[in-house]
Amino acid sequence: MGERMNRRACLRVLGLSGLTAGLSTVRTRPCPAQSVGESSGFQSSVIASGQVRANRANPTILDGKVIQPRRELPILDQTDVLVVGGGPAGVVAAIAARRAGARVTLVERYGHFGGLWTGGLVLLVIGHIVKGGKQVCQGIGEEIMSRLDKLDGAIINRRPGTNPTADAEAVKYVMVEMIEEAGVNVFLHCWGVDTIVTGNRVQGAVFESKSGRQAILARTVIDATGDGDIFAAAGAAFEHRSHNVGLVSRIGNLDRVDSTKAAGSPKPRRLGSPTPVRGVNWVNMRGPEVDGLDVATLTRMEMNHRKFIWRNMQKTRQAPGYEHTYLVETAPQLGVRITRVLRGLKTITLADLKAGTRFPDVVGVGGSDSGNHGPWQIPYGSLVPAKVENVLAAGRCVSAEIRMADLVRLIPNCFVTGHAAGVAGAVAARDRCRPRDVDVAKVQRILRQQEAYLG
Amino acid sequence: MSPNAKRRPSVDTPTLKVPTRARILVRGACLVGAILLLLPVVPGASAPVVVPALSPFVAIAALLATRTFHAVALVGLAVGAVGLFRRRLFCRWVCPVGLCTDGAGRLGRRLGRRTVRGPKVGPWIVLLTFGGACLGYPLGLWLDPLAIFTGLFQLGPDGGVTFVLLAVIPFLSLLLLSLFWPNLWCTRICPLGAFQDLLFAWCRVPGSVLRRRGSENQTRETRRRLTRRTALGMAIGAVVAWATGLVRGKTSRPLRPPGAIDESKFVGVCTRCGNCLRSCPSGIIKHDLGQGGWPSLWTPVLSFRDDYCREGCTRCAEVCPSGALERFPREGKARVRIGLAQVDMDVCLLAEDRECSACARWCPYGAIRYVFSEAQYTLVVEVDPDKCTGCGACETACPTTPKKAIVVSPIATPPNAQLGSFGAQGQAKRRPILP
Repeated sequence: MGERMNRRACLRVLGLSGLTAGLSTVRTRPCPAQSVGESSGFQSSVIASGQVRANRANPTILDGKVIQPRRELPILDQTDVLVVGGGPAGVVAAIAARRAGARVTLVERYGHFGGLWTGGLVLLVIGHIVKGGKQVCQGIGEEIMSRLDKLDGAIINRRPGTNPTADAEAVKYVMVEMIEEAGVNVFLHCWGVDTIVTGNRVQGAVFESKSGRQAILARTVIDATGDGDIFAAAGAAFEHRSHNVGLVSRIGNLDRVDSTKAAGSPKPRRLGSPTPVRGVNWVNMRGPEVDGLDVATLTRMEMNHRKFIWRNMQKTRQAPGYEHTYLVETAPQLGVRITRVLRGLKTITLADLKAGTRFPDVVGVGGSDSGNHGPWQIPYGSLVPAKVENVLAAGRCVSAEIRMADLVRLIPNCFVTGHAAGVAGAVAARDRCRPRDVDVAKVQRILRQQEAYLG
Repeated sequence: MSPNAKRRPSVDTPTLKVPTRARILVRGACLVGAILLLLPVVPGASAPVVVPALSPFVAIAALLATRTFHAVALVGLAVGAVGLFRRRLFCRWVCPVGLCTDGAGRLGRRLGRRTVRGPKVGPWIVLLTFGGACLGYPLGLWLDPLAIFTGLFQLGPDGGVTFVLLAVIPFLSLLLLSLFWPNLWCTRICPLGAFQDLLFAWCRVPGSVLRRRGSENQTRETRRRLTRRTALGMAIGAVVAWATGLVRGKTSRPLRPPGAIDESKFVGVCTRCGNCLRSCPSGIIKHDLGQGGWPSLWTPVLSFRDDYCREGCTRCAEVCPSGALERFPREGKARVRIGLAQVDMDVCLLAEDRECSACARWCPYGAIRYVFSEAQYTLVVEVDPDKCTGCGACETACPTTPKKAIVVSPIATPPNAQLGSFGAQGQAKRRPILP
């Protein structure tokens, strides 16, 4: 539908659709999960009996090496913009591209949206303001925040100049709502593992899920995986970095701490910071600096961190007055901060931040983690791989030098790069051009229409 | 008593008379020129250094104290050389302070104040200063009138009320002194004038090359008296410098601008002209109001509250007239040590596992690393003392309030040990001593 209408008309319809909770615009597609076979009159039914997978081509051992034979992959979907990764960057990118008139498919490895914000329990939203209190993260990112405002118990500290803390479940809910309203086609539990490449042109991506290995064809692919899985698979140049890998947890019953008993003894450490849930704090962890792409390392981190968190909680409970506190949960997702970082056409640098460089191809403005510096412009070139075509990076893996990584990876800055990548991807798909040739002025115009702040 | 005071003025040594119109005009022009240089309207970052550097008193005392020759001293030495031939020529024709104090004196006389004839303390200030300078601590450089005049122009980036007051107080005191006791400053106290007198007298004692026919009244007796006085004054100066040297710079050492010479010398060699405060593009150099004890009053100290010492910036050292801040090449800034960053992990956000990387990000020299401590299961900030210059970028960036978790502390070792590596002298110092 979007292609036939002009953008403004499309936006209007999409805006109206917000009122009808997405009923009008969600595209009806044959959903594989809908066919459940004849009812057996029991809670469970037989979908197919004794079926042998048609497309099986099992790896075999040849000369002592495990070889995966060639095989045809079923095409799950065909779309304009494919967004891989449903974190803050991916969700915003998908909504932005859809609102810019493209057909959008979003795939996410876990069963929910929000990435490290929700699955990683990094609930504090830092980076949307700069020195002096100016809020630089606007657009769809701000829309998510203001939707959280309207929900009861979804967000706290939403005052100008402060960093709010959101509730993970509220964020997951709001994101589902917004994705549905926008009419994005979604596949959860889908892990992007490879790209479909002809020459240096990416034409889609390959996913692994319970449905097996499947392909989605797309005009533009947005890599919002955080780890740069997609651009790396496509052969784009990147920098492989180490960073701290931690595990966030939440502790509860802090409202039941007996302050009279606790008065005499030192306050236990790692009590974290408040969340919208009463008496529950989220506790961050920095963890050691390791390679977040190494599965053995990730395993070790998970296990070590879980041991530490449990034991530390027991220590806290032994402190006078803290007997009722307990470990609510550890984050389902390990806190990997930085792994692969794109080598883009342009790179976000600290020198540019200090100099306050203004880029002609600005597609967003980044904020500060502690409000001690000014805004920094994000050039479109930092999302575009230097050599590979039809891929755009969004989120923490955009092209940035090592000293900027800790700013680029902040949630609001992921909103901003996601927003830019989504719009640029939609424009590239509609104009049938490579992302590097996109009319940046048009991208900037649409971003401004979508209320993004470009400085 | 001064021998000069007793004898009558000779033919070629006119005393300070009521200024003639021509002299007023020339001095007025010099005053305007000095103001233009200091404002600084004159282009060139080093322009303000000219005014305080005109003083031969400062140039020679600094030379004695630091035992390093700076090109900027040539200005003062040239003025001194002129003074050898014409007594107090500088005072009569150039000195911008003299014009102001004369004006205040005239007003004072009109208000009924009388010219007082007190003892001449000027020569003693000069001799004590030079005596102290021989031991690295010139006692009276801060009394140099040109430095006091320069200190008036503190149009720095933060012109608060206290800031303006601090700049105005020394010069205002001079004017008030001249208002109540006309001529007292110029003829009795001013070390710059007294230095010119002494120099002139020494060049005319029997046996001197510069002795002229017109000065026959300079006898052997005057030479003896002059020698005695010079020896006594310098000896007292040296003793004072030695005695105060036992405690000076050892009890407390505030953070000094980059290139500062050893603290025990710094408080003496610094003229308090305020050039460095004014030239600093970050506005981090402030007046010392007692951090470093009373001998350090009015000297420059650093505050990293709002900004830090920029990489590659050499401005303060360039405008220092006395060499209290040693000049260093722009490329060598990364090796000029101001202090050393120290972390208080009780305040640091990392101890609470907070998501902060401000100090490491803003360190221009890559001296800060976060290292995971297995025992504490969190990150600990490590500062590489070889890379850290104490520029304060980390302290400025640190988000903790009111106490900063990372603070630059003065270092115990003399900072010019680092500076030395630029010159041949320093390399000699660094060469290991072989048996």
